[in-house]
Amino acid sequence: MDVEDEAFDDEEEEISQEDAWAVITSYFEEKGLVRQQLDSFDEFIQNTMQEIVDESPDIEVTPESQHQPGMEFEVDEQRHYRIQFGQIYLSKPMMTEADGETGTLFPKEARLRNLTYSAPLYVDLIKTLTKYGAEGEDPIVETEELPKVFIGKVPIMLRSQYCSLYDHSDKELAELGECPYDQGGYFIINGSEKALIAQEKMSNNHVYVFKKTMPHKYSHTAECRSVLEHGNRPTSTIFVKQMAGSGGKGAAGCIRTTIPYIRADIPIVIVFRALGFVADKDILEHIVYDFKDTAMMDLLRPSLEEAFVIQNQQVALDYIGKRGSTVGVSKEKRIRYAKEILQKELLPHVGIGDYCETKKAYFLGYIVNRMLVCALCRRQQDDRDHYGNKRLDLAGPLMGGLFRMLFRKVTKDVKGYVQKCVDNGKEINLTYAVRAKTITSGLKYSLATGNWGAQGTQGVRAGVSQVLNRLTYASTLSHLRRLNSPIGREGKLAKPRQLHNSHWGMICPAETPEGQACGLVKNLALMAYISVGSPSAPILEFLEEWQTENLEEITASVIPSATKIFVNGCWVGIHRDPELLVRTLRQLRRQVDVNTEVGVVRDIRLQELRLYTDAGRCCRPLFIVDNQRLLIKRTDIVQLQNRETTSFGWHDLVAAGLIEYVDTEEEETTMISMTINDLQGARSNMESGYYPTYTHCEIHPSMILGICGSIIPFPDHNQSPRNTYQSAMGKQAMGIYCTNFQTRMDTLAYVLYYPQKPLVTTRSMEYLHFRELPAGINAIVAIACYSGYNQEDSVIMNQSSIDRGLFRSIFYRSYREEEKRQGTLCREEMEIPDAEVTLAMRHGSYDKLDDDGLAPPGTRCSGNDIVIGKTAALPDDGSGSVQRYTKKDCSTAVRSTESGIVDQVLVTTNDQGLKFVKLRMRKEKVPQVGDKFASRHGQKGTIGMTYTQEDMPFSCEGIYPDIVVNPHAIPSRMTIGHLVECLMGKVASLLGKEGDATPFTDVTVEDVSSALHKCGYQSRGFEVMYNGHTGRQLKGRQIFLGPTYYQRLKHMVDDKVHSRARGPVQILTRQPMEGRSRDGGLRFGEMERDCMIAHGGSNFMKERLFECSDAYRVHVCEICGLICIANLKKNTFECLGCKNKTKVSQITIPYACKLLFQELMSMCIAPRMLFKK
Amino acid sequence: MGSETKLPPHLEEQRTRIFCGKDAPTHARSNNFSGAYRSLGEDHSFDNASFKENFRIDIKRMDSEVMEFDMIGVDASIANAFRRILIADVPTMAIEKVFIANNSSIMQDEVLAHRLGLIPLRVDAKKFDYRTEDEAATEQNTIVFRLKMKCSRLADGRLENDAVLSEHLEWLPAGSELPEDSDSKFTHYNRDQSEFYGEPIACADDKIVINKMRPGQEIELEAHAVKGEGKTHAKWSPVATAFYRLLPEVTLKQEITGEEAHALKKKCPKDVFDIEDIGGTTKATVVNARACTICRECIREPGAENFVDLKRVKDHFIFTIESAGQYHPRELFIDAIGKLRLKCQKMIQLTH
Repeated sequence: MDVEDEAFDDEEEEISQEDAWAVITSYFEEKGLVRQQLDSFDEFIQNTMQEIVDESPDIEVTPESQHQPGMEFEVDEQRHYRIQFGQIYLSKPMMTEADGETGTLFPKEARLRNLTYSAPLYVDLIKTLTKYGAEGEDPIVETEELPKVFIGKVPIMLRSQYCSLYDHSDKELAELGECPYDQGGYFIINGSEKALIAQEKMSNNHVYVFKKTMPHKYSHTAECRSVLEHGNRPTSTIFVKQMAGSGGKGAAGCIRTTIPYIRADIPIVIVFRALGFVADKDILEHIVYDFKDTAMMDLLRPSLEEAFVIQNQQVALDYIGKRGSTVGVSKEKRIRYAKEILQKELLPHVGIGDYCETKKAYFLGYIVNRMLVCALCRRQQDDRDHYGNKRLDLAGPLMGGLFRMLFRKVTKDVKGYVQKCVDNGKEINLTYAVRAKTITSGLKYSLATGNWGAQGTQGVRAGVSQVLNRLTYASTLSHLRRLNSPIGREGKLAKPRQLHNSHWGMICPAETPEGQACGLVKNLALMAYISVGSPSAPILEFLEEWQTENLEEITASVIPSATKIFVNGCWVGIHRDPELLVRTLRQLRRQVDVNTEVGVVRDIRLQELRLYTDAGRCCRPLFIVDNQRLLIKRTDIVQLQNRETTSFGWHDLVAAGLIEYVDTEEEETTMISMTINDLQGARSNMESGYYPTYTHCEIHPSMILGICGSIIPFPDHNQSPRNTYQSAMGKQAMGIYCTNFQTRMDTLAYVLYYPQKPLVTTRSMEYLHFRELPAGINAIVAIACYSGYNQEDSVIMNQSSIDRGLFRSIFYRSYREEEKRQGTLCREEMEIPDAEVTLAMRHGSYDKLDDDGLAPPGTRCSGNDIVIGKTAALPDDGSGSVQRYTKKDCSTAVRSTESGIVDQVLVTTNDQGLKFVKLRMRKEKVPQVGDKFASRHGQKGTIGMTYTQEDMPFSCEGIYPDIVVNPHAIPSRMTIGHLVECLMGKVASLLGKEGDATPFTDVTVEDVSSALHKCGYQSRGFEVMYNGHTGRQLKGRQIFLGPTYYQRLKHMVDDKVHSRARGPVQILTRQPMEGRSRDGGLRFGEMERDCMIAHGGSNFMKERLFECSDAYRVHVCEICGLICIANLKKNTFECLGCKNKTKVSQITIPYACKLLFQELMSMCIAPRMLFKK
Repeated sequence: MGSETKLPPHLEEQRTRIFCGKDAPTHARSNNFSGAYRSLGEDHSFDNASFKENFRIDIKRMDSEVMEFDMIGVDASIANAFRRILIADVPTMAIEKVFIANNSSIMQDEVLAHRLGLIPLRVDAKKFDYRTEDEAATEQNTIVFRLKMKCSRLADGRLENDAVLSEHLEWLPAGSELPEDSDSKFTHYNRDQSEFYGEPIACADDKIVINKMRPGQEIELEAHAVKGEGKTHAKWSPVATAFYRLLPEVTLKQEITGEEAHALKKKCPKDVFDIEDIGGTTKATVVNARACTICRECIREPGAENFVDLKRVKDHFIFTIESAGQYHPRELFIDAIGKLRLKCQKMIQLTH
């Protein structure tokens, strides 16, 4: 009875899939959507920066003896200087005005005044001077402490812990001019918002084994990119290779390895001997572990035979040393060199100190073992694209790398300065020694340009920092969660671009660009979490406590019966009861005694336990399942739902061990049930159940999608590329990109007049604030052929609806200008340029300018009108006479193809104290034929015709559609979600509710249809419609009609229409300019040329390519065939070389041709033009 | 025409009904010309007397906003002409020009002007003239409204004038009161507008929200309303919507009883069918054919066509006019008739 009761209670306690949403809500409430950026940056500020300073070696300087002529060389005392860097201090973001006034900086001001949102960094310096007197005397030590020396400014990520906006309420944010929905996670550099794109890389210290195919020299290779946990040594990659081929050549089957700085591959046995393991048995037991494994022993035979001639350590070291970079040195030196290489450069992550040989031998043996296991086909080769083998460099590690490099430069400079002072016997002033500009401008340069690395150095990565996309709120969010794989875009290999199984839950399966970057640029899934990294010391301590046997203490024979333990890829020991160890570790992690982001991977087949604490691993939270039952109970959900009173949140769930973060590699060792129902199924028939061994449960499968994927309703009803298309288009939709758009001065901005929240939503949208900042309108859409003006992805739009405000939008463009100053004399001034004294005035009208040289708000301007009048004083020409022109015009005009009204003018000063102006133009954009629209299912189209209400078809209820799309857009594209959205939208509008279109739920089309039927409509959403022109019922079947959420995309005809007859030409070739903005020509390209040849239109082609391009008249001497002097006024011609004044032909050739001839002539090649009479 | 037809019944039915079968509706077009059935000895030439006899308008429902009536005995083209005229050709007054003296609200001037334009004004446009581009604004062609508001915080913390409503538009019968421009006046009124326009002019609805403001923001503007038609811009359209549908005709071809009858009743989303219980046998009957939307739910299943017959009467229009507020829907229809008559006269003049 009791047992039954308990079971009943348990069923009651079980949470439902609906309850999971309370958990998800608490996650986003606590974390927001850009947590990875913020966590990573905070880690950099709070730990990494100090670590970098601490690990940099002290600066030690002793004066070098100087030879000064005429002075006696005297040695009175020996001095020794030591400079230590201590504690660092970071203040809140500050700004120093040109006049020296310093104050706290807020992001709004930084954006508007084109400032950099950065905080000053200070460091404690300790200078120690040790004076050694004569022999036997005690040295005199003088210490001077310089507290808080300014060493540079560090750009601060918005909403990070050091941001001035940290921990402000929404109301306070609004008062500071910030959008409360803005999540931060970006930097402001010179007023422009910069997002750091996470960079994907292969994980370090991980052994990969690959099979090579036949033509290759090797049959198998194993590689390991070995990097020290801290420090700035470059990666040293080791390759272990097994030679291919059987019989024949002696090398077949030999195993060799690369060693850094050693030119040739070294047989593996020699390396072991060089490490001090001479006997064959010793070597073999480091590789094979189990001598009964004859198959593997056989594979090693060729290698042992190969190294037979080298039978002691010295010879082995000499063998390696001979192949090093030093040539012609003594044997001792060679051996020392080889030893050094083996200690410092071979597998540095195992250790670079003395006495690491045992560990290194074990690790090297392990690499060989792994390769042989693969060679024996006992295990598959490793998967390079498995996401567990990938690490993501986020803002923290990226900034860390940069800061490390710059800080080293600073210390180097300081050392140089101190050395110089000491040598010259000058006083050392450390505040002068520290060049703060190095760090300030170094960080700024990389963030501003995206070139990650020092300016002008090799191997910089481009595009790491990008201007934050502010088109629509979703595009901003998506940009902050973007990942990039730095693999060549032109690479033919398809594998790295494909969606991998291990991407599940970490990376959005839909959101990736099309074309060259397809699959290389990815986006994080909603609940993906990137580890920030934690020290490995606590784990090592724990392992020590729990009877892990150190490699030095064991004999190799116990390895086969024990489990190898790796921490961050480094083999630290073995353990005989891995089951217990793993259980304890997991238990501790769930109790948060061990960091929650530590990865525990137990590989039973390989007898390995891999622990990870490093940064950049993709993790995701999962419900923990114990005994086929979720650990999270209904009571927890109730507590979550009453968050306000209980303050029970996500971190409490994690701390209570109900939810844990599982990284991609650990995920392989779990059994995850897709839904909570699956667990019930597994419970109800334990024996016959499909999976009786669940360890975790998904929180909700729809969390596999990213930002843009989560906006799509019913994505599980669409063909997958359509979701990808929508993910790309959603970023071009107009809406409200942030609530403070009125106070921002973005160069380009689009805002929809009347955005609506969608009738059909997904649950995830709540977290994306799509309801608050929507980007579209619920339009009434009919899917019909009507009048033929909606063919080939065009749509018919209701002009009356447009009149009433449908899809109207505002377009903002900002112009900026400043009074630059060069020297003291040459300065610019904002004013109305005076045509009398100003050179190079524009064609546009200057009438719009006020006395201050700026067009006031409300001024209606058309193309080429001057809105900011500015002149630069011309320097004195030195002739002494009175100059006609004293100024040169450098005004700013409205773009020639645009017009609008001056919306807002901002006059301020920039960081140099110069007058700085931003002027925003506003233009109303009414939908017209040619503008682009799209539903949320990759169904885009342009307006093909607008009809007024009376011409549109109408239903028996007087509903006139806003948009008529062609039915041919549906079958081949298979966007069923579009239709289901429409159907559900109809139900939602009739019931006055939101429709739930979350993917992977139980809603079926049948449910929606029956709900619609209950509302008194045809269950499938069809309606009888009448032709608006004739008034008769439309022939054919009924029309599918209902509200569908449509987006207006930023591509509009008015921004594209272009034509030109004559116009500006390029200076060099005199061919027409390129591009609409320069009133350029339209290219008559190769294919067009081919077409004209095929049609026999040679005269037309000549006109297009020659007459309308760069026809040029030249006069050619008929004797020498070169261009001669022509005086057209006097009608005289002369070829100076030939003394010819009569035999001259006038021809027309392309100017580019003339240019070529002249360039050839400059290279001493005479292109002669000879004519046939 | 019509009543004393000698056509065979199936042809007569094809002539007067649309057949709504499982597939596309058939016989949807009308053959209303004199010689359509000449070979059968029928003369369908227009006969004014029989038209007068057959044509009927039954008003089913009417209030100040919506009117539903049946128009019987005309061709679809005539009914459609009325619909189109109602939407696009009946003139009304609407705000066309807005002179903004001050607008410190967050709403852009263009948006504000656009919103003002869409407010329906309760004015009889017949008493006004059209205003062409180069004409001056007189009392005969322009109505001037003023909107002057400033939002402020009251002593008790409440906001004053935070919502700008259509009732705040103030009619200026004497014309523009804005200070004159250097050489042009905004309006040239010869007399006060109230002299010839009896009642005060206001918006059709008082509580239309134009804008919302916060303390310190203010709006001062003058809006000029002129006469126009819906085809130029939807703001001049006097109807929210005007539409019709054909009268449905639902008949049961066979007697449907028992379970099937209940199933049929359930199928219809509009409750066209009901169950009759006579002497213990349940029988399906058609009770509300008019409500049928010809959604064809009842004939969707295979074979269902043999039980239910869906047709529409070609010359019976269930017409609905929803006024936007400027006029009573009855006036609208009368205006539409007048407009059609004018158009016809123009046509006759052109042809003669």
